[in-house]
Parts: sequence; structure tokens; C-alpha cells
Amino acid sequence: MDVNSFYASAERIFDPSLEGRPVIVLSNNDGCAVTRSDEAKALGIVLGEPWFRIAPRAKEWGLQARSSNYELYGSISSRVMILLARYSAWQEVYSIDECFLGVKGSGEDLLDLGRAMKEACRRHVGVPVCVGIAPTKTLAKLSNKWAKKNKAFGGVCRWESVPAAEREALMARLPVNEIWGVATRLTKRLAGMGIYSIKDLACADAVMIRDKFSVVMMRTVLELQGTPCIPMEEERIGREQLIFSRSFSTPIRTGLDMRQVMSVYAQQASARLAKHQLQAKVLTAFAATSYYNPADTSYPSVVVPLPMPTADPVILAKAAHALVPRIHDGLKYVRAGIMVTDLRPSGNQPPLALFENAHEERRIGPLIEDVAKRFGRGSIGLGVAGLKGGPDWSMKRDMLSPRYTTEWTELPVVKAA
Amino acid sequence: MSLALNPRVIVAGVVPWLVPVAPVTVECGYPSPAQDYFSGEIDLNEHLIQDKTSTFIVRVAGDSMQGAGISDGDELIVNKALEPKDGSVVVAILDGELTIKRLRITAAGVVLEAANPKYPSIRVPELSELRIWGVVTRCLHYV
Repeated sequence: MDVNSFYASAERIFDPSLEGRPVIVLSNNDGCAVTRSDEAKALGIVLGEPWFRIAPRAKEWGLQARSSNYELYGSISSRVMILLARYSAWQEVYSIDECFLGVKGSGEDLLDLGRAMKEACRRHVGVPVCVGIAPTKTLAKLSNKWAKKNKAFGGVCRWESVPAAEREALMARLPVNEIWGVATRLTKRLAGMGIYSIKDLACADAVMIRDKFSVVMMRTVLELQGTPCIPMEEERIGREQLIFSRSFSTPIRTGLDMRQVMSVYAQQASARLAKHQLQAKVLTAFAATSYYNPADTSYPSVVVPLPMPTADPVILAKAAHALVPRIHDGLKYVRAGIMVTDLRPSGNQPPLALFENAHEERRIGPLIEDVAKRFGRGSIGLGVAGLKGGPDWSMKRDMLSPRYTTEWTELPVVKAA
Repeated sequence: MSLALNPRVIVAGVVPWLVPVAPVTVECGYPSPAQDYFSGEIDLNEHLIQDKTSTFIVRVAGDSMQGAGISDGDELIVNKALEPKDGSVVVAILDGELTIKRLRITAAGVVLEAANPKYPSIRVPELSELRIWGVVTRCLHYV
């Protein structure tokens, strides 16, 4: 199951005037289009197109743009997932707008079930979805894509209900990178072996693919041939990484400002680690200048092994500050982030008291979190991260809709007139 | 305090063995007689929300539903999944706006009524042309 143009559809629930009009949702900081309604796609707006290029024509097109309203999308996503979980005991939430469900039954029953799920999402939550039903996850994703593209399916496509000749024609038509699990960067290498379309890959020898590429790619081949080999992940046991990355509303030009950014991100990464009861062993900090300004580029990054697995904001911030000397004062950095990797459950192996972080013992992380929860983000921070009035580089969301479902003061308004 | 809850007979000549206990927990003696009956405070979510996937809370702007006990500024609990019936108070989509009305489905036709004589009723040619966003189940009125 996949929600159609998810962010745009979530915006439309509470603003019916967006119905039938081109709608786009912009990335962090109102940077570029990350979601386009069908009408916006028809205008030729491409995914990732920067807002400053679209904006001059928005009025003429009647195009409506919205900043990313993560609070709203999270709430709508969770409603959809809870609803769909009623249709199967076996659900893997794959992303904010996609999930896999394990279902059994005959062809017609499965199609009916898919239609029932689609109708439930429309009636309960108010979002349009497509359902792809197939014996493997890879084929289910492909069926879903097909259901989206071809209106004749009515939003529900069961792979095996489509005549074999039509399925083959589709696979022969679609380039190989359209399939789930095949990265665009691999298309060249695949082309070198005569593999251009999905069909070519489906016909390839799985063992040869494993030897030339990876086990992951071999699984894709087998899945295309109808053998399920990507298991349902009922619960992701260990997350491999956690990324905290944003672009800035005003570019960062000095190491000193970058230091402040790193402190804030470290604090937020720490809060997320603590929430999932995880500790990190490695921290990577990075920054980048604008992609649209090819002169004066700089993409510094540092990898810092941490002395002990930790979620301590003080230690994470210190580690992230290693990026600061690599910042060229004067260049315009438009984004930065930190990534923590090699994660493990906290408290799995209590460190010897000798090595225990002094701050951890004093529980500074949870304390900062408590204060932030009560008085809002930005009310407290580590060192330079705690600034009065909030730093001016923080996220810009000028076209933000209300947080309709998560804030009592921002409820949708119904007219009684 | 704990001791007072668990009176014990003190036999002459025997020094009672006092166990220090936190005032709220009952360490020995009888458990609280209410313990088996207590299954949590009243939870408004449980009573006011039938299905959390389809229930939304909205705020009223205007006085057109005054006669139905719905005032300007009240919050409404709306269930999107309910089937609207004759007499239901509904949130309808009118001219791209969420609007609250009472739905009338009669042999004579479909009408969206206000509950205030100041506002006219809206006649709808076909039920299928009407877009209902959700059905109001409760009004949270400020008193």
C-alpha cells in the first residue's frame, strides 16, 4: 500500500479548496518540490525542482505550495497504518506513506480486500491510496506503481490477475532502475551487461548477478521471478543509523555559526537516541555549499569514533564540533547534518564505572529533553546552542498549514454561516 | 498513616515489629479493598472517540448552528467514517470550505439546514452531488 502524493493528499484533507488544483509540498526550508499532486506533475514540475524556479509561474498555474508540515503528515500516516493493520496481522511499515501487509487468499478475494483497504483509507482518513498485490515484495511494489499509472486498475492491481503477455510488455518497457532495490547509479553497469529493462533483469541469471553485483541484487532478480526472498520485517530490530540533517534559511558563513548548528543537531540527535533507547559508537558530521552555485563548493565531513557508546548530548556535541575547523569562513554553507551510526540498545552492557561518562551519570540529556518538552524547543540548549530568540538559520516554513490534528490551538475550522 | 490502615492487635508483653513503609503503599496486612475494582480513571478518549483513525476535532466559526446547541468557538468531534443519515449534523464541503449543517433526506429531496433562522437552507439536487466530510458525534460546548 502506498498513499498517492502523500504530503499533498494530507494537505487536501483539511483544505478541500486544493481539490483538483495543482499542489506541491516543499522540502525543509521551502527548498524544492518533494511531493506533487497529479495536476502539478501534468504541469511538468519535476521532483526536486527548486521553489525559486517554480514560484514565478505559480500564480499563472493556480498552483498552491505548502511547506512540509511534518506534524500533520506524521499524524495522518499513523492513522493510515493503524487502519491497515486491521486487515492483516502481518504489517511492515516501510516508510511514512508505504507499508507491506501479508495476506492470503484466492485472486478475487485478494482484489476485494485491496479495494476494501483503499475505500477504508478514503473514508476514514480521507487520503487516496493504491494497492499492489503480488507473491513477492518487489513485484508488489511494481504492481502498486502500475496501479498508480494506469487508471484502468482503479487503484488496485494484483500482479497475477494481469495476463502474462501484458506483464511482460510492461517489464520490457520500464527501465531497470524503476524497480525497487536497483539504484540508478548501477544502471550503467547493468547496461554494460545488456540489462536495460526490468524484463532483462528478470531474465538474468541470479547467480551471475550475485557474483557481479551483490546478494541484494540477486534477491531482486529472484523476487522478479516470483520467489519471495525479502522477508517481512515485522520489527526493525536495530536501526543502522540515525540522520539529522537540514538546510538553512540563511546560509552559514563562519565556523563559529557552524559550531552552534552542530550543538543544536547533537542535542536533537541525543534526544532521538534516548527516545529509542539507543547509543551510538560513531558520529559523522557534514556540511555542504549550494548545489546551484558551482563556484566555491565545499563538502567537508568528519567521522568521529566515540570513546564509549553514548547518547550524551555533551559528548555528541563535542564530537560534532570536529567539523568546525574544516569550515572555510566566507563560503555559503546551505546545509549540514550529523549522522550517528553503529547503534546499540542502551544499557545492554553497562560500562565500567571508570569509563562511564560523567554527564551521563548526571542525566543531562533527559533533563534537557524535559525542559524542552515543557517550554518548547529552543528554550534550553548546550553552550552556544541555547540562544535567545532562536538562531536565524533555523528552518524556514513560510507556507506552513496548521497542525490540524496535533495542536489544540490549530484545529481545522468549520464554517457555521 | 499506613499503620492506621492496618490495625493490629498488640499482645501485651510482645513488642510489635514495626516495618517502615511508604505512606502510599500497603506493605502488609489487607490489600486495599478497592484494589480489585479499580481499573483506571474515566478516559474521555475511550468514551468520546469510537475510532481514532477516522475521528477529528474541529472548531466552529459562526452562529448558524446555535439552535442545535452548537455555538461559535465550540469544538466538535467528527467521525469521517460514519454514514450520514436524515437528521445528522454533518461537516459538508461547500465551495471548497468545510461547513457545518444539518442533513435532511426526505422524499421531497436533500436539504442542508442551518439551525438558526438567520440562515437559509440549501437544497441539493442529488445526494450523490453532496460531499460530506464527516458526521458530528459530539459538541464540546464552553459553559
